[in-house]
Amino acid sequence: MARSWVEAVLAAGAVPASAVPEASLGRADIETFTGADPIEDPELRAHSLAGVQALAPGAVEFLDGIELWRVVGYAGVTPIVCAHVAAAIRRRGPDRRPRTVAEDAEELAITRLELLPDAVRGALERGGVRVVEIPAEDAGQPARALPAARVEVEKARAALERRVAERRLEALAPGEWLVIDGVISDSAALSAHPRALGVVKSHGAQYFEGAELERALTLPADHRTSVFRPRSRGARREIHSWYLRLWPWEGNDLLYGLIRLEARAHPDTVATASALSAWLLRERAPLATPDRRWDRLLYPIHDVETYLRARAPRDVVPYPASRLPRTGS
Amino acid sequence: MIERRDSAPPPIGRVVATEQKPATPHQFHFWTAKETSIGIGAIVTVEEDTGGGSDEQGLGRVVYGVVTDGFAYSDLVTPLHDVVGAEGDPARAAESPTARQEIRLWTAAVLRQRPEEPLQPVPLGRVHVATDADVAQALRMDAYLGGAEPRGIPVGLYTSGGLEAPVYLDADFLLGPEAAHLNISGVSGLATKTSAVEFLLASVFEHFPSHKGRIAAVCFNVKGPDLCFLDQAGTLDEQDLRRYDRLGVEPKAFERVRYYAPFKSDGVNLNTLRTHPDLVRAVEPLVWGLREVLDYAEVLLNRDDIDAKADAFIDFLSDRVVGREFDDGFGGTHRVVTFADLERLFRAIFDGLEGGGGRSDTWRTHHIATIRKVRNRLSNISTRAKGLVTDDGPSSDLPWGGFEDRAVYVVDVANVDPLGQDLVFARVVSKLREYLERRDLGVDAVVVFVDELNKYAPADGPDTYVKKMLLDISERGRYLGLVLFGAEQFRSQMHRRVVGNAGTIVFGRMDSDELATPGYQVLSPATKIKLATLPIGELMVRHPHFTQPIFVRFPRPAVLRGRDGVDRFPPAADLPFEDAVVRQLVKLDVRVRPNLVKDLIADRREEDVRRALALTRQARPHDAFAHFKKLLGARVSAAPMPVRESVPPLNPISDEPY
Repeated sequence: MARSWVEAVLAAGAVPASAVPEASLGRADIETFTGADPIEDPELRAHSLAGVQALAPGAVEFLDGIELWRVVGYAGVTPIVCAHVAAAIRRRGPDRRPRTVAEDAEELAITRLELLPDAVRGALERGGVRVVEIPAEDAGQPARALPAARVEVEKARAALERRVAERRLEALAPGEWLVIDGVISDSAALSAHPRALGVVKSHGAQYFEGAELERALTLPADHRTSVFRPRSRGARREIHSWYLRLWPWEGNDLLYGLIRLEARAHPDTVATASALSAWLLRERAPLATPDRRWDRLLYPIHDVETYLRARAPRDVVPYPASRLPRTGS
Repeated sequence: MIERRDSAPPPIGRVVATEQKPATPHQFHFWTAKETSIGIGAIVTVEEDTGGGSDEQGLGRVVYGVVTDGFAYSDLVTPLHDVVGAEGDPARAAESPTARQEIRLWTAAVLRQRPEEPLQPVPLGRVHVATDADVAQALRMDAYLGGAEPRGIPVGLYTSGGLEAPVYLDADFLLGPEAAHLNISGVSGLATKTSAVEFLLASVFEHFPSHKGRIAAVCFNVKGPDLCFLDQAGTLDEQDLRRYDRLGVEPKAFERVRYYAPFKSDGVNLNTLRTHPDLVRAVEPLVWGLREVLDYAEVLLNRDDIDAKADAFIDFLSDRVVGREFDDGFGGTHRVVTFADLERLFRAIFDGLEGGGGRSDTWRTHHIATIRKVRNRLSNISTRAKGLVTDDGPSSDLPWGGFEDRAVYVVDVANVDPLGQDLVFARVVSKLREYLERRDLGVDAVVVFVDELNKYAPADGPDTYVKKMLLDISERGRYLGLVLFGAEQFRSQMHRRVVGNAGTIVFGRMDSDELATPGYQVLSPATKIKLATLPIGELMVRHPHFTQPIFVRFPRPAVLRGRDGVDRFPPAADLPFEDAVVRQLVKLDVRVRPNLVKDLIADRREEDVRRALALTRQARPHDAFAHFKKLLGARVSAAPMPVRESVPPLNPISDEPY
């Protein structure tokens, strides 16, 4: 699918490019030590889920988003990036088959306008695409510009996911849950909702040290940790959180099968943490293979991602093609 | 005939093409929802997405296809992952909260493209379930259903997803002259083959185009009571009636059916299962004499021992002896009309040659061994097919030259010796051909239905007269209006040219071993599975206009099935000689009083009675009893039969067991 704004920019003098950056790793959590306050137990400990009655909601909605981007041209050394971000919610009813109930997508051009020649800038501004600018200090150096562009794409995807999720909350029927791939603490509405659950697969943030950290990261399979409240999260809202081990880590890696759940900061969350965890243990099947993150990726989330990738514009989907110089034909 | 599509139904699928599975001009792949009404054999249409336009470059192309294979798979990478997800417990696999994404992917073979030129790969468009009008287009039926002289012969209903679209065969390609003949194969015992032919005959009779003239059918009943009750109405349910209505065929038994069956060896009881008193009146005896047999003597001699000498001697008998005054050269004069007359001639020849001191072993240039062989074969048929072949007396035959339009002539040879069956088949078909060539049969076309065709035209075995004749019909019959409807269990064991010349091929449920033979390699595995499990009443049809085989359903024939007929009209027990004679005379004339007949024949020789009865039957006089009495006379002196013991043993010329 040819994009008119890309063609216009190239016609205005930008040099065409087809660089595709490495795939995104998903919505990243903050990557610093922040600490946590105990909520359920005085100090972090493991709770077995054996015999726990799993929560069995009649319907569950799953939200995920994707980001796809590529450099479509250069004006001098300033990259012009075309990005596609999308988010969707798929509802799983009694028939166990997910169906899309909400969906949104956005196309972005990411560059630094002031560094573009007038003709290229004019073409871009007239192209009808939303232009997001990378910071001035990163724009002059391609090695920094592309990571900066990637950050902007991730921000756009996170914002889109948030919008889609918040819009959907009102439609959520009593007893129905919304499971979000990633944190919910960046949204006031999500972090306050009684049936919104964030499933975090990346563990860059450190909330514990010493023995508690060891307990968290060596959690046995089919166990969860005590519920805690992550601390010092800046603009992020207060939530309750706990770790859950889906698959035995022994023989693999400390983070293998380990997810962290986020739910609203409320005593009910503590009361239902085991039932929620037992429910998510059931979500281990079917496996989300062939995704490399299948040990932490829930199949319905994987399904949303598959859906979004299937509907993404073909010209931003990475494909295994040769980058040899093109022939005249 | 065809209902037009009022509005486009919603698409049920979409064509997909990958480098591994591309769309081609002859095949494409499409996916549907998991819950779909289509299956193997379903006809679909593909419409290209053009935004409403069409042009000469093929945009706006519509493709008709028939589903030949289906695939289902999920996003499961390896079965092991399912085991892991269920923790090794199959019961838990079904309890997973989310059902895996599944696909229903179908492969379809192209039936037709519109426009037909330029022929291009199937576009990646929307897939719809075919409507009545689509089915007509897909099967190119529009070429012969419209116009001033429509030629459609309903063969069944294409059914899929609630649709019941009539499927028509082209009369020009079913009954000639463009192509002709129909071959149907399938396992035995399901009543599909016979039922299909019975329905199709009814359909042909009702829809045979008027501009093509008159048509009749000759059916050989070769086993049991299969075709013995074509004039009796069978039981139909509402579904059958609806299908008849949809196909435009009236659900009724055949109105004009004539039955022909030979006698049993007693010469008076008919050798058929249609002997119930209520039905036997419609059965005519099939009795042939010397002339009828001699014309087709090659049938009797073509097993292992046919040679030019025997052939020449038979020709000599036929041309110079039979039916005329003939001097045997030993002082005797013969007029050979019957087998008995011929036997007397043979006796005279043998006596003459042997009486001459054994100095000569030839008679009229024919060696005595040849004469003995021919005598042996001719007397053999009169023994083995006694009841069909009469030693003496008149013959009784099909109404050559007087065939009626839309009439069925059933020749019941189910209980006749195989050699006799060959003779009947050869003679009837040859006579049909002879009369059709002269255009004086009474009809313009004849459908000949032969069941168990394997027996008459096997792929291997010797080239018999019957096989050669079947080949001749297959290859040239369409120009005469002589059409062969053949049925057999194993098509692979049929002579290739016989089945190859059949323009229309029909398959019922097939045996798996049969489907594994090379002739079925063109069918997809899914189509083979469907054929192996085909229910009664469903067929797969190949026809020159159809580029792919099509599955159709046909209603049960509106006639009484053989087994039901035997239950409803149980065959009468063989009558004593006197009673059998009475019954035949009463059949000719209801005024005949049984006691008078019995008194008349009480002390007569059975041969005399049979001869008088045959002549009466042939004459069909107003007063049958009087005619019979006159023929019988005061006493019919018994002709002295040759003493067989005096005939020297035959020199074994061949290894024939008989």
